[in-house]
Amino acid sequence: MIRVFLRGLAAHFRAGRTLLILSVLGVALGVASVLSVQILNGSALGAFEGGLRAVSGEADLTILGKVPTVPDAWVREAMSERGVAAAWPVVRTPVKLEGPGGVFLDLAGVDVLAPVWFPWDVPPGEVAAALGAPGWAAVSEKLARERGWAVGDVFDVSSGSRRVRLRVGLLVDFRKVSPLAGDRLVVLDIAQAQDALGLEGAVHQVDVKLSPGASRAEVGERLARRLGPAAQVLTPEQRRSQAAGLLSAFRLNLTALSLISLLVGAFLVHTTTQAALVRRRAELGLLRSLGTTRRQVLAILVAEVALLGVLGTLLGIPIGYWAAAANVEAVSATLSNLYLLEGIGSLGLEPWVLALAVAVGLGGAVAGALLPALELSRRDTRALLAPFSLHERVGKAAPRLAVAGCAILAGTGVWYAGLGRGWRPAGFVVALSLLIALPAMTPWLLRTLCGRLRARGFGLAYGVKALGVKLGTTSFAVAALGIAVAMLVGITVMVGSFRRTLEVWIDATIRADVYVTTESWRRARETAVLDPAVVSALLRLPGVRSADRLRRTRAFSGERRIALVGRDVGMPGGEGRFVLIEGDRADAIRRVAAGEAAMIGEPLARKAGLGVGDRLPLTAPGGNFEIPIAGVYLDYAEEHGSAVLDLSALESRFGLAGLTNVDLYLEPGASPERIMDSIRGRFPDAPLELLSNRRLREEILEIFDQTFAVTRLLQGMALLIAVAGITLTLLVLARERVSELALYRALGASRRRILRVFLGEGVGMAGLGILLGVPGGVALAMILIRLVNRAYFGWTIVPSWPVAALARQAAVLLAAAAAASLYPAIRASRTPATELRRDDL
Amino acid sequence: MDPVLEFRSVSKRYEQEGGEDLVALREVSFSVPEGRAIAITGRSGSGKSTLLHLAAGIDVPTAGKVAILGRDLSRLDEGERTRVRRDSVGLVFQFFHLLSHLSVLDNVMLPAWIAGERDRDAEPRARELLARVGLGSRASSPVPKLSGGEMQRVAICRALLRKPRLLLADEPTGNLDDENGRRVMDILLRLGGEEGSALVYVTHSPDLASLADETWRLGSGVLDRP
Repeated sequence: MIRVFLRGLAAHFRAGRTLLILSVLGVALGVASVLSVQILNGSALGAFEGGLRAVSGEADLTILGKVPTVPDAWVREAMSERGVAAAWPVVRTPVKLEGPGGVFLDLAGVDVLAPVWFPWDVPPGEVAAALGAPGWAAVSEKLARERGWAVGDVFDVSSGSRRVRLRVGLLVDFRKVSPLAGDRLVVLDIAQAQDALGLEGAVHQVDVKLSPGASRAEVGERLARRLGPAAQVLTPEQRRSQAAGLLSAFRLNLTALSLISLLVGAFLVHTTTQAALVRRRAELGLLRSLGTTRRQVLAILVAEVALLGVLGTLLGIPIGYWAAAANVEAVSATLSNLYLLEGIGSLGLEPWVLALAVAVGLGGAVAGALLPALELSRRDTRALLAPFSLHERVGKAAPRLAVAGCAILAGTGVWYAGLGRGWRPAGFVVALSLLIALPAMTPWLLRTLCGRLRARGFGLAYGVKALGVKLGTTSFAVAALGIAVAMLVGITVMVGSFRRTLEVWIDATIRADVYVTTESWRRARETAVLDPAVVSALLRLPGVRSADRLRRTRAFSGERRIALVGRDVGMPGGEGRFVLIEGDRADAIRRVAAGEAAMIGEPLARKAGLGVGDRLPLTAPGGNFEIPIAGVYLDYAEEHGSAVLDLSALESRFGLAGLTNVDLYLEPGASPERIMDSIRGRFPDAPLELLSNRRLREEILEIFDQTFAVTRLLQGMALLIAVAGITLTLLVLARERVSELALYRALGASRRRILRVFLGEGVGMAGLGILLGVPGGVALAMILIRLVNRAYFGWTIVPSWPVAALARQAAVLLAAAAAASLYPAIRASRTPATELRRDDL
Repeated sequence: MDPVLEFRSVSKRYEQEGGEDLVALREVSFSVPEGRAIAITGRSGSGKSTLLHLAAGIDVPTAGKVAILGRDLSRLDEGERTRVRRDSVGLVFQFFHLLSHLSVLDNVMLPAWIAGERDRDAEPRARELLARVGLGSRASSPVPKLSGGEMQRVAICRALLRKPRLLLADEPTGNLDDENGRRVMDILLRLGGEEGSALVYVTHSPDLASLADETWRLGSGVLDRP
């Protein structure tokens, strides 16, 4: 059998070269789509983990605060716990590197004298310098190369209003420690770091090394009890999973989108296999009549398709890596801007990701081909030698398939209404049922729509009508296109609606004229504190009517990490800053301003199941407390939830001094640009960031667009596969319909006319794909907006319909379909009339 | 007046890999005037189908001249030959070659669509032809519902729709039983005669050949005319 397989292989692949190339491309793009997302997801977590390993080394446990900083006395507390061999303090915060380019560094302060093994060594001669030389810092070799630094060179960083001069004391390759470690790590001695950041007696974490034989779980529990509710004690695995949790919704959505591309690719393989099998039915029939078993026939077919899968995977891996590399900047920016995590320093291609690529490539190819291969292997010898009635059978099955599709949708709807509603991934199940139902309904829709078409004349419309005849081939291409279009429309409507909702929210809430913060605020948030002298000067500036003072920090509500904002809630005329979806605004503002209550953002309300009248649990340095909730406001800034207290309440409860942001409201007629110039003039050396109202709005939308950049790539890949499907299907049709085309030629149809018919078929497939995909896409958008988004992000998105963008996409798709049809149309038009065979019309 | 179809010293050879060329026609010459019905008989492989392909402009001769209404097909390019075939030739095939996704009427209309004629001009003629072959009431029927004889009648209507000056039929009854074959042949001859088309048909049956004005025999590529 192996000889039969090998001898036939080259001949079959030679006979269907273009088909082979297209199906390999389909598999490759599907693999690339999944692979690129997994590389980005893995690298995002790898960057976090790499930084963690580079700083914490062999620590078994890390003590973190549920408040911004913890007292360094916790080191002693930890050391006195049974089972702890060593404990050492760590300071970690992002700082802004002075100079152009908006580069942030991750500053870590560690105890270079700690009696533990660090993942990198300070050479003995350097220890004294690390401790004593002002600003001594270890930086990565790559960063030094990029910036042109050598040992001894100095550079400035800022944290809030503080500017610190550091000196390159040591070059370290952190990637030797952890391959995905970021190259933006800067390590100082702990004392120098505390001094530079103004953290007297405070640190960000305490790393712990256990005695041999001590249980991490038990010691962790005892430490948590000892240090009180403001402490959380985590293993490195727990810290990784915490970061994974932060990114889970982002990662899951990308993964789901990439799987759609794979599904579309599998349809392509299905079409190719079907075409190959139709072509080879006589050969397979002969093999069967010579005694080949069904299992052997199936083995031959599956082996061929598996080979196709291997080729697709081999091509898909570099494409996937390239796609990931092309998007690393956008994803990195999203990680930094939205999740405040380390950006991706380098892409990692872990063995399991490669294994996944092979699995999806092979699996997708075999899954796409399995049905036709199984069917053919089961048919008896006579049936194989007789003309194949595939299209007729698909036509007969069409109504049953359509009913099955409707039943799947209805069943999922009933399931969701009854049981699924409370289950977080239920939205994905509903979306999946839609993506299964769409292809199931395709043959019936195709047959009905094309059958009703009054095609008079031999041109484009005639081509469209003919699509309803060869259902066995055309259904799959139209279904694949339908899914790709549904994905395109669904994402476009969802993103368009989200953007529009965001614009409305920005209009309502971004009302100040000038926004003042520090350059490091973008990444550092809570540690980026403004100098009080700067703040008081800002408030006295001529032309400033009023100011909204803000202190942003991170806090814990139960086990949930949220953003906590203290601000001048009662600022006269500032009511519009809060768009409440629950609670009376005037009453809520009055109560919050009086320090009696808090307002919470919508994502927190949805995820924690909280509302007006409930009490918000918070952890402060002094312990846990609860505060009544007076209102729920729209919040698109914090995916993981936020709450607002009055500034005075935040200061008194959390002991936080200083502000992170000041929003200035100007006198009528005052120019924001002039005020900003005046601030820059008064504080020429302060690392301030000043944004006008317009610039802040633009920036928010830029970050939004950047977040969805990868989505656009995935949409593009799915569409590319689907358009390749048009070419492939038309090539299959041109081959299947040789006799029919020869008849047209015999009846006097010119090549140009046949070309037009085929173009009609290509454009018709795209049109039908659009017709199928648009309602599917609208439904998908609603599922994404109402189910997936609410379950994972908790945002209210008001649906809006970007008609112009959708029309543009439809036009592009039709044009792409026409272009994709050209080659098969030219091939079909070259069919000679002499090809008119005996009985296979 | 030019004959409808003229062959002058037409030869057709097919190159064969690693062997001698296959000679399908040798120095064949004849002409068919308007309204004349010619039957061509001969064994399988005698060159009958090649002769019809050359006559229809589907293929070109290796040597000699094939002319339809005085136009030398061998001097025309492929596109021009297609136009000549579309406008002047009607073809009837042994296996009918009807499109199952089109109705009976649409199958008959197909040449008009290909030629870009307007429906309102062609449809009355198509219906009239269907009525003349006894299928007037089946115009909307799907093709697969028809019997073999009915299918061939539809194919004849399709061939005649655009009033071709030359009607070529390759074994038009080869796929039918005797009774149906006879009936179809009668229709073909009657309609061809009424339309004034020259008819050249290939048949194995001496009975059906005897219905033509002349019967020619083709053997090993050589045409034997009485």
